[in-house]
Amino acid sequence: MLSHLVIGQTLYYGDTIFYVISFILLMWIIKVLAWGPVTKMMQERADKISNDIDSAEKSRNDAAGLVQKREAALANSRSEAQTIVNTAKTNGQQQREQIVTQAQADVQTLKQNAQKDIEQERQDALSDARNDVADLSIEIASKIIQRELKADDQKALIDSYIEGLGKQHES
Amino acid sequence: MNGEPVSTFQFLGLTFSTANIVAGSVVFLLVVAVIFFTSRKLAMKPTKGQNFLEWLIDFTNGILKGSIPAGDVGKFGLWGFTLFLFLFLSNEIGLFIQVATRSGATIMRSPTSDPIVTLTFSLMTMMLAQFAGVMKLGYKAHFTNYLKPFVFWLPISIFEEFTNFLTLGLRIFGVIFSGEMLLGVIWNLAVSHGIVTMIVALPIEMAWQGFSAFLGAIQAFVFVTLSSVYISQKLEVEG
Repeated sequence: MLSHLVIGQTLYYGDTIFYVISFILLMWIIKVLAWGPVTKMMQERADKISNDIDSAEKSRNDAAGLVQKREAALANSRSEAQTIVNTAKTNGQQQREQIVTQAQADVQTLKQNAQKDIEQERQDALSDARNDVADLSIEIASKIIQRELKADDQKALIDSYIEGLGKQHES
Repeated sequence: MNGEPVSTFQFLGLTFSTANIVAGSVVFLLVVAVIFFTSRKLAMKPTKGQNFLEWLIDFTNGILKGSIPAGDVGKFGLWGFTLFLFLFLSNEIGLFIQVATRSGATIMRSPTSDPIVTLTFSLMTMMLAQFAGVMKLGYKAHFTNYLKPFVFWLPISIFEEFTNFLTLGLRIFGVIFSGEMLLGVIWNLAVSHGIVTMIVALPIEMAWQGFSAFLGAIQAFVFVTLSSVYISQKLEVEG
């Protein structure tokens, strides 16, 4: 039909069919071997990249949040430490004062007790000494009297005594 | 071509050219081999072969995106990829392998240096364009496109379809066929006077072979580009 268009040649209609069939077959083979898997992989990669970008953004935000939190915690702990130190200082001061006051009071009490004891001792000693002196003087006196009161002395004494009695009866 | 004997055979009442069948089968196997060996061990992190394959897919998708509306590119991706790879290898193979029988009939050359092959691809493009147009717009909108911008445009529209079909197929055929013919002429020069002409012809042959390789790539690119343009014309209602 078309063979007169090409000079001196016969057209090979069979080739057309051959090429059409082989082209369609080739398309099918490429689709099965490469096109399907590769385009799927490319799509997966595109998805993965976009996911990675999203998750990177999220991680960055998380990290920023964590930094803020950490800084807040740091500031918080610093002020807390300050408070603790201050409290400890105040407590220490108070305790020191208390101890000193206590010590002073104790010393005062001890001193008073000691003075009282000393006074007591002195009084005891004095009274002891007074008693001893009295006893001694009595003993001495009795010893002296016993020795001095000889017969005539005794007689004189008795006489005086009787005289005394007589006088009393007369009156 | 040009009066040389051509090896043909009959099968199921149809005439086949041995050269076209052999060359077509070789290119077919080459494409399958390329695809097979580059698509092994596909991974999220692409290696050499996969990188090449993905670059090629991006390249042909880029050609299609140039003219076809973005929403329709996905349907033609596989077609554009296969077409480009097949035509590119078809254009290049004849530059490196040319086999003739004892009687002088070529049995191995570029498949695209025969108009019947290029016109087959051109016809496939035109049919695909018609098919895609009907699928996208429906019969009514598709065929009323021929009556635009006004009713009397109809003969020109039909004629345009025919010329598109012819120019698309004959452009690639012309470039590849002339390239191979000139290679043959240079070869004849090389063997004409022994070693002297061989030395003279070698750089010319190399230069022309390089240029033809470049032209083969360009023609495969142009074919896919124009095909996508013809398809995109059928995908939209003309104003």
